[in-house]
Amino acid sequence: MTELKNLFYIATLLCSFTNLFSESREEIIQKGKELYNGAGSCVACHMADGNGQKGNIPPLAGSEWLKGGSARSIAISLRGLAGPIKVNGKKYYAAMPPQLLFDDEKLAYILSYVNNAWGNKEDLITKEEVVKARKELPLDVYTPQTLLKKFPFDKKYSKKNGTYTPTFDDTLSNITSPVVYRTFMPGASPASFAVALPGNHYYCWDAGESRLRYVWTKGGFIKSNQAHWSSNGKPVAEFNGTPYYRAKTSLLREETFEALSKTNMQKPIYDTPEADDFPLKIEGAKGTPRFLGYRLVGGYPKFRYSQGKHMITELIQMNDEKVGIRRTFTISPPSKTVLKLSPTTLASTSSDRGIMKKDGTLNLSSSESAEFSVFIIPNEETN
Amino acid sequence: MKRFFPFFAFLCISILFGSTAPQYSVINVPAPPTKFKNYQVDGLTFLPNGKLVVCLPSGEIFFRDLKTKKWELFAEGLHNPLGVLALSNSELIVTQRPELTRVRDLDGDGKADDFEVITDDFGMSGNYHEFNFTPVRDKQGNYFFALGTGSKGDGVRTITRGTFNERGRPGRMHSSAPYRGCIMKLTHDGQTIPWSYGHRTPNGLGFDLEGNLFVTDNQGDWVGSSKLFHVQKDHFYGHAASLAWKPDFNEVPLKAPVEKLAKMRSRACVVFPHGTMANSPTKVLAITPDAKFGPFSGQLLVGEMNRGRIIRIMLEKVGGELQGACVPFIDGPPLGRGCNRMDWAPDGSLFVGQTKHTWAGGEGIQQISWNGETPFEIQKMELQDKGFKFTFTKPVNRQIAAKKETWPFSRYFYEYREAYGSPRSDETKVGISAIHISKNAKIVEIELEELEAWHIHEVTVQKLFSADGEELNNNYIVYTLNRLLKNTPTEPLQIKTVSKKT
Repeated sequence: MTELKNLFYIATLLCSFTNLFSESREEIIQKGKELYNGAGSCVACHMADGNGQKGNIPPLAGSEWLKGGSARSIAISLRGLAGPIKVNGKKYYAAMPPQLLFDDEKLAYILSYVNNAWGNKEDLITKEEVVKARKELPLDVYTPQTLLKKFPFDKKYSKKNGTYTPTFDDTLSNITSPVVYRTFMPGASPASFAVALPGNHYYCWDAGESRLRYVWTKGGFIKSNQAHWSSNGKPVAEFNGTPYYRAKTSLLREETFEALSKTNMQKPIYDTPEADDFPLKIEGAKGTPRFLGYRLVGGYPKFRYSQGKHMITELIQMNDEKVGIRRTFTISPPSKTVLKLSPTTLASTSSDRGIMKKDGTLNLSSSESAEFSVFIIPNEETN
Repeated sequence: MKRFFPFFAFLCISILFGSTAPQYSVINVPAPPTKFKNYQVDGLTFLPNGKLVVCLPSGEIFFRDLKTKKWELFAEGLHNPLGVLALSNSELIVTQRPELTRVRDLDGDGKADDFEVITDDFGMSGNYHEFNFTPVRDKQGNYFFALGTGSKGDGVRTITRGTFNERGRPGRMHSSAPYRGCIMKLTHDGQTIPWSYGHRTPNGLGFDLEGNLFVTDNQGDWVGSSKLFHVQKDHFYGHAASLAWKPDFNEVPLKAPVEKLAKMRSRACVVFPHGTMANSPTKVLAITPDAKFGPFSGQLLVGEMNRGRIIRIMLEKVGGELQGACVPFIDGPPLGRGCNRMDWAPDGSLFVGQTKHTWAGGEGIQQISWNGETPFEIQKMELQDKGFKFTFTKPVNRQIAAKKETWPFSRYFYEYREAYGSPRSDETKVGISAIHISKNAKIVEIELEELEAWHIHEVTVQKLFSADGEELNNNYIVYTLNRLLKNTPTEPLQIKTVSKKT
């Protein structure tokens, strides 16, 4: 009787193997690759090269979390993993949500690909393994502790892999309400703002010149700011992403971002009185803009500054689709105005008043200038 | 035995430099609930309603209701706020790195929602040492704030605010962005003007009860030892870099002959000897008539970063200028190090906020209360024709006070020079020629064999007890003798070291 039962199991197992092995190893991995790289799929976070995003999304390429069988990877994919983890000795903060879009078969393809891409050499994963896990695993999202209790690391991996206690910087990886800091920012005068928007878009606004400097989304909000405050004040804030938008100024055109973070200069590249290419040209307004302060509106800073007799406000929020930013300006008294943005291949610009030219120039009539919005949206392919 | 050495060293220092009188108690105030876990206090004052206000390095401002003992977060996101004034229960004036800012709660929800620039008419090179210290406000509604110089510990940033001035760039501490190293005045009609020049790290402005403005400075280049200055319009107080902004000074300050600078400078009204009195003085606070802090109304308090010490200052006008003495007052544990900001609580006690920012110092908030009983202290030290008059808070033991050995005076000066700090120059013991004790035994007049103008005179009073047997709590006192009561000799430049006389 027992033998018969065993035979039955072996038969079922053989069947499933045949099922999978009816496709070649290459075909399986290829199917997984396509699914992995699909729009809004794994690639959005873990990236095409499997390297993830520094400090935020862990890498899959070379990850020691894939070692010691597939049960752990399947569990993370099905149930998610909330909490900071260490992968190959490096820290990652972002949470992994349960992957609900993929059925058992698709998930098996994807994980088989991950296990064998970018130099990884792990097993192929079968649909049956996923089916079994989906049926048996508790429904809760895993924490690093509950996950590793069930699927512990081999000793040789446990030192560099596991969890850690996050610092405040780490917690800024998921912004749910606006965060406003005045601090030293790269590529801006020393009188700058770093602002994080819910939805994880971030910008630097420079009170020294009353202008938006740049906007980014990947890589998380500024790091090391706590070191800036609690130390003697020397550190300039850092962040891991690249801005998808940088306001052009004739004085900085060739400067790389790293170069602009420098603090040990004998003299500056320029000082603010030299900054004459202000992006907002209001007819009749003379002189450089004067920063006057800001009001918190639902937590969002609404900057105000003057140019001549004109009072200007700028409020920056996520756009309605939550994929880029909306900058709302008011000019009082209104006057014929030209705004010059700097669209690139990384981001496109548009407006809700007047007509924005391809080069980012927006001409506004006096009445249109009273209140208008411009949009800066990162291009998906490049971001 | 070795283990006990630090204890003995501590004991000796305590004996040498006094300690807090037992009539004063120091208690810790619980820290505000900052999510950044950094408890340094960079600004401290009280609201008209009696709530404590503190600014933290993180840019947070908290209120504390002293009755309910609850903290409230009022504002966030400021850039290194290093001083705060309360204009009303919902309106603060804050010095933060880039500006003087009015922080207000307009919708009455208890949280600040409007941040208005009152002035940003000064420069920032982005050098970390360009601090913006302590706003104070005079009775006419003018504001004063103090701009730190940049440090050679770093250069300038790639983009700077304000017109870059290469003339101010050389030097250990530099002033390449407008008005670094100046005390600034924001007039009640909105003009921002450099008010005085020659400051290095002016961490702490304050008024006396007559409305005279004072500021401290930290030992370093051009500052032989830390100092207290009486701030007067257009005066130059010695640190060269900020001369780059003085309208009638067209040279590179560091290339100007030191003789010229020495002739331009105004003297400190109090010098804090380095290592023995203060290495890094901070906020100046007058002892108001409402303060419950002992028989010292009208005198000034100054905090000290490097040790747990608050210094008491007594000034007098001699030859038309203020000068006077300093003495440790609240000294040593349990007072923490890093006493940076202080103000009077509604009950007349003193609240102190402590900080460090990688330098020597501490963190936290402490409350210092006086129990109403008279401590045995030097109430004041005043200049006389031939020496000094000491007034004590209690009658002294006549026998001890009458002995010359009780009063081992010495005098010296600090050189005026570009190099960092200065040794004590021309340090000389000064003999006593006569001692007079008043009938009530509260006044002791010491006649010295020599009284040398433009020299610091100090004494560590030896084992002096009050008539009722209390030991003098703080016995190390230093008088900055600039001018004599009459026949003051011409001010010497003091730009060269004079070796010790034996």
